[in-house]
Amino acid sequence: METVIEMNQLGKTFGKTQALKEVTFKINKGEVVGFIGPNGAGKSTTIRILLGLIQADGGTATIFGQDVWKEAVSIHERVAYVPGDVNLWPQLTGGEVIDLFLSMRGKKVDQERKAELIKRFEFDPTKKCQAYSKGNRQKVALIAAFAADADVYIFDEPTSGLDPLQERVFQDYVKEVKARGASVLLSSHILSEVEQICDRVAIIRQGEIVEEGNLDDLRHLTRTLMTVKTKEAVPTLKDQAWAHRVKEKSGTYTFQLDSDYMNDFLHFITPYSVVKLESAPPKLEDLFMRHYETVGDS
Amino acid sequence: MATHAFKQTNRLFGFSLKKEWLKLFLWWLGCLLFVFIGIFAFVEIYYDPMERQAMAMAMANPAMEAIFGRMIGSDNYTIGAMYSHMMTIMTLILFSIQSILLVVRHTRAEEEDGVVEMLQALPTGRLAHTTSTILLLLLVNGASAIGSAVVLLIFGDASITLEGAVLTGLIYGLAGLLFGSLTLVMAQLSSSARGTLTLSFALLGFAFILRIIGDGGIELLSWVSPLGLLYGTEPFVNNHWWPVLVGLGVSVLLILFALYLKQKRDLGSGLLPDRAGKSGASAFIKTPVGFAFRLIRTPFIVWTVALAVLGVTYGSVIGDVEEIIQGNEIVQQVLGGDETTNMTEQFMVTIIGVLSLAATIPSIQALIKLRGEEKKGRLAHQLSGTRSRTKIMGSFLFLSVLTSVWMQLIQMTAFSGAAVAMGFDISFIDPILAGISYLPAIWVLTGLAACLIGWIPKATPMIWLYLTFSFFILYFAELFKLPEWFRLMSPYEAVPDIPMDAFSWEAFLVLTAIAALLSVLGIVGFKKRDTD
Repeated sequence: METVIEMNQLGKTFGKTQALKEVTFKINKGEVVGFIGPNGAGKSTTIRILLGLIQADGGTATIFGQDVWKEAVSIHERVAYVPGDVNLWPQLTGGEVIDLFLSMRGKKVDQERKAELIKRFEFDPTKKCQAYSKGNRQKVALIAAFAADADVYIFDEPTSGLDPLQERVFQDYVKEVKARGASVLLSSHILSEVEQICDRVAIIRQGEIVEEGNLDDLRHLTRTLMTVKTKEAVPTLKDQAWAHRVKEKSGTYTFQLDSDYMNDFLHFITPYSVVKLESAPPKLEDLFMRHYETVGDS
Repeated sequence: MATHAFKQTNRLFGFSLKKEWLKLFLWWLGCLLFVFIGIFAFVEIYYDPMERQAMAMAMANPAMEAIFGRMIGSDNYTIGAMYSHMMTIMTLILFSIQSILLVVRHTRAEEEDGVVEMLQALPTGRLAHTTSTILLLLLVNGASAIGSAVVLLIFGDASITLEGAVLTGLIYGLAGLLFGSLTLVMAQLSSSARGTLTLSFALLGFAFILRIIGDGGIELLSWVSPLGLLYGTEPFVNNHWWPVLVGLGVSVLLILFALYLKQKRDLGSGLLPDRAGKSGASAFIKTPVGFAFRLIRTPFIVWTVALAVLGVTYGSVIGDVEEIIQGNEIVQQVLGGDETTNMTEQFMVTIIGVLSLAATIPSIQALIKLRGEEKKGRLAHQLSGTRSRTKIMGSFLFLSVLTSVWMQLIQMTAFSGAAVAMGFDISFIDPILAGISYLPAIWVLTGLAACLIGWIPKATPMIWLYLTFSFFILYFAELFKLPEWFRLMSPYEAVPDIPMDAFSWEAFLVLTAIAALLSVLGIVGFKKRDTD
């Protein structure tokens, strides 16, 4: 498969803080990759390096095989970017800013596409930017991005401030650009969103990619939420290595099971006369939480 | 790569013009109005060569040179010479301020807002945003240069030669270009718009003081100062062209240096280090006044230093000038004083007035920080707490009054101290008393600002226009022989001229009452209106 974005051992230091240690991963053509991690883990720094806004001090990063710092301008002709905090000129209207952004691409603006986006996002382009709420300012950047016929879309928490309906519209457009072969890098804290639209996720923590793969693969690494009701009490359940966060309420146990130990669990529980047994599929959130929680340890 | 760096410069330039043309046009008009008033008044008032010659004699002393600039063309003090001598420094400063504000607004301010990030993520060159600002700077200053020369030629008399007018226009534009380029370099060093603005204005102030000290004896310093260098062209007197070339060369070098730094650095970063701050709030900043003070701490310190330096500078050049002009009837007649008038005291009055106006700037800044907070949406954090609006605005007003008292005491003590140390025959206490008697006039200005914030918040910046107007009256009322009723439109004119006049409780109390009334009105308005 054709690689579109490639990062190899990227490093970046701000003063004494090492923001990125070594970030290595790639994104293929037509792939939607979720980029998740706690605040301050290095998501925005990575994205800003990819956009040639700041220069990495170690490693290499390329988009379309071109160096992201040296060839920024020609790369950007095929890249669209939406930051999480969009600030605009207060004296201009949203419509003017959208046109400005599109005109910077040096191509003719597809008015039909623009009008469609404005309609779908329920956006009023005639108001001055100072009158827009946060969500509406995000829409300006989103409309300008999707109206551009780009091959790579980079989103840094793009839906912050959008209502759930508009979030859905955003997801539809991501699926649409994916369908025509564009690649998407989506940094987000809304895990359900990532789970919905991403083919793969990369988890960054303290400037390093700690987990990477497609969602199904990652689920094996995670835990399943189990609910079990037995006739007899199971006092030793909480002592098992594969059981976590065991809670008991009137004979019903809920706990998290290491997904690889399902068989061990079944053998263990059978002697206690099972009345009810439910399992919930592992969520990205559980996987994610594990990485969030360990931040404090190191 | 090299050509890529500038890609889309033209489009960004056109875009800046489209969104800013009105503001730029009004600035241009305002600057040209300043040129017009100067030349028009001189031609109208000083048509008599005898009178001009008397003026020349009155001006040829260290104190006056400190205010206006080194004496030029005194042997043939034509309208042109007079205009060059008295108006050049002030006009250069005005054009410099215009360019400093323009560059900060288009570079660091937009970078801080995150707008540059979005533009640079588009296929635009890494330098395009900066080069579009440079084009804007060139356009504005080119238009200023041409406009000024044309105004001078139209309204001047025979002494306003074509060469002199063109040279004058050029140095005006060049002042803008020089300080604009300097600001562009500062924008790469500092990582915030405020930092850039502070550094740039500090450099302008430094250039002003260098010029004063230089003209007071150490001539080299005058040539090092951009203001002194451009003044050295002496239009209508000697028409030296070489400083123009030096100024142009320095501007080009500064611009290239700024572009080099911009090309190298990360977006959003500055080359000067940011310090780490405290992890928790002290008890002091948890109080309303303490919090307000924390917001203005940096400018407060910078202004304290700047005004102290300005006070010392002026204090050390004011001399005994009576001897120079004693017995010269024409001079005394021109200056309008009776024969017993002590010239030193008259200069002191002017300088103390100028210093008091300068101290008004940080006082107003302290108050309208409130409006700044509101515009940035941060006022809601305070209003949603348990502090009443009266308390919040009252804190800023209190701080503003405190600032005015502090600045006046500091700079007048510096001024007096320097003058006494130099052995000049003045009373140490007089300037301090004068400084105190100017306080209520400052409070009238802050009271007006409070009214604007309370009733027409969008018009808050208009207070700067009024301050400029008051400065104009103070500086030029004597020179342009403005009528009394016109002068009284500035509260500073109601203040007695200490030490020539005695301290007046009446003026002090009346002005204070007006100021208090305006402040209360402002708070009432602020309590009633919607916030942004």
